[in-house]
Amino acid sequence: MQNWRMFQNTVKCFAMVSLFGLSPWCAPAAHAALGGDAASVAADAVALHGVIHSTLLQQYDIHEITSDNGMRLREFQNHSGVVFAVVWSGPAMPDLQKLLGTSYNTYATAVAAESHPGLKRPLRIATSDLVVESDGHMRAYSGRAYLPALIPPGTSAADLR
Amino acid sequence: MRITHLLVVLAPCLLCACIGGSKGTATNTVPPTPTVNTLAVVVDAGPVAAGGAINRPYVTVKVCVPGGTPCANVDHVLLDTGSWGLRLVRSVLTASGVTLAPSTDAQGHTIEECASFAGGETWGPVALADVTLAGEVASKVPVQVLDDTNTEPAPPATSTCTTSGSVHNQVTDLLANGILGVGVFAQDCGTACVNASPALEIYYGCTTTAPVACTAVNVAASGQVTNPVALFATDNNGVIVDLPSLQNANGDATVQGQILFGLATQTDNALPATGLTVLGADASGDFTATYNGGTTVLPALIDSGTDEYKFDDLNDPNMPVCSVPTSAAQWVGGYYCPLVAPESVFAVNTGVGVNNATSTVNFAIADPNSFVATATAFTNLGGGRSTTTFTWGMPFFYGRKIYIGIDQKVSGSFTGPFYAY
Repeated sequence: MQNWRMFQNTVKCFAMVSLFGLSPWCAPAAHAALGGDAASVAADAVALHGVIHSTLLQQYDIHEITSDNGMRLREFQNHSGVVFAVVWSGPAMPDLQKLLGTSYNTYATAVAAESHPGLKRPLRIATSDLVVESDGHMRAYSGRAYLPALIPPGTSAADLR
Repeated sequence: MRITHLLVVLAPCLLCACIGGSKGTATNTVPPTPTVNTLAVVVDAGPVAAGGAINRPYVTVKVCVPGGTPCANVDHVLLDTGSWGLRLVRSVLTASGVTLAPSTDAQGHTIEECASFAGGETWGPVALADVTLAGEVASKVPVQVLDDTNTEPAPPATSTCTTSGSVHNQVTDLLANGILGVGVFAQDCGTACVNASPALEIYYGCTTTAPVACTAVNVAASGQVTNPVALFATDNNGVIVDLPSLQNANGDATVQGQILFGLATQTDNALPATGLTVLGADASGDFTATYNGGTTVLPALIDSGTDEYKFDDLNDPNMPVCSVPTSAAQWVGGYYCPLVAPESVFAVNTGVGVNNATSTVNFAIADPNSFVATATAFTNLGGGRSTTTFTWGMPFFYGRKIYIGIDQKVSGSFTGPFYAY
């Protein structure tokens, strides 16, 4: 559909990296994913002990991080360099605070305002600044978060999968 | 309250005893008494402390300290075919005098779990318990004790139980005293939690002396929270959930049904020779479904723990999400409210693997504002805008026998994991 090319970039870090923490030797940049920059994508890959697989599209780039433990993260970066959407799937839930970055407080406030969120009802937070959707069951979780204002023209939320 | 539930549990036992007696007179060879494998299921308003539940099937679970006493008969435990393992609220156990000791790892750290569901989590230690369901006994079952009293170490900052803001440990949040996960797997996490690197953020090892800290750890399958059915001596290959059709389109006050343990192991749990749709499931416990002629293939499951047909209606202009009134019936928020109700829709299920049957299911979505306020059981209830899965929740169970085959276990000519109806 569009001209694209792919490259694969294995992120390896031999410094001391705690399980999901970040070491300053490998990730000097801010590690917020949503709203972050290219360095934040690399930092996420390190945190997940993952491999980045990037797809460059006309309107945005997709950086897919897959981890040995089955976690998969797709980060959508617009041509201003900002990560405007993150999509996750895997056998566990991701660290939402790290994933949502500076948008986390918006999320936390919205969740707290939910009246009767059910254990089995998919979570959906939709403010003008932030949309978070999370669903799944044991062994298979998935969800996404995006910044509606930063979605490139010609792209719809449905493309962010 | 507890006594009433005990009678409900015992009633099927008495019934079986009578049937067995009348059969046994014809011959000198008395067959061994079959294990009582039926347990009462009730749909009602939920635990007294909570109330207001709809489409939640409950059972009473007997849980004992391993090897002896004390024991507790815990009523209103949610029967959940969409999860794996038994989880019980701590304060409910404590009120019955039962304290379960947390499991520990090789370092002596207590094993805690953050178990995630679609829109929330449970947090608390893993502990061993003897679990009795009808006449079936599973010994030393790893269960989760839900820490509603906040006496356990706090989950670490990286855990979903910290960051999500949606932990459900309280009876009033769960609308249940616990969750009995009897779905298609034995363990709640499986191999993904045995040898992951880095360890998944599900199980944690927590130090017991200051400074208390929890770190994600791997846990052997035998130590993970486990579906008690898989640990029964017999009748351990699956279950049948058997609920009657509802009497009223606008809701029934209560529903009485049963769960049968074992598939094709006794005379009462045979697999029908014809007419049974068997849907194999993948490593996540899902078959696939397409909704209303759409081309998107969705992961799908049959889940008694979900109160609705849960699917994305793709912004169907004729089926908007209910607007929430400011006064009455606020519970309708989040469900679908068809403009012309009931709206008829359909989905096509396809099994994964060798049990790859295809089955078209027609169903309808009603306007929940038409439901009787005092009822607790509703058919034709839908919701789930923006979900990426298709979940056949409780409305699907009314008037059907649902067969759940556990992973790697053989039931007649089928091997789990599978769902059948």
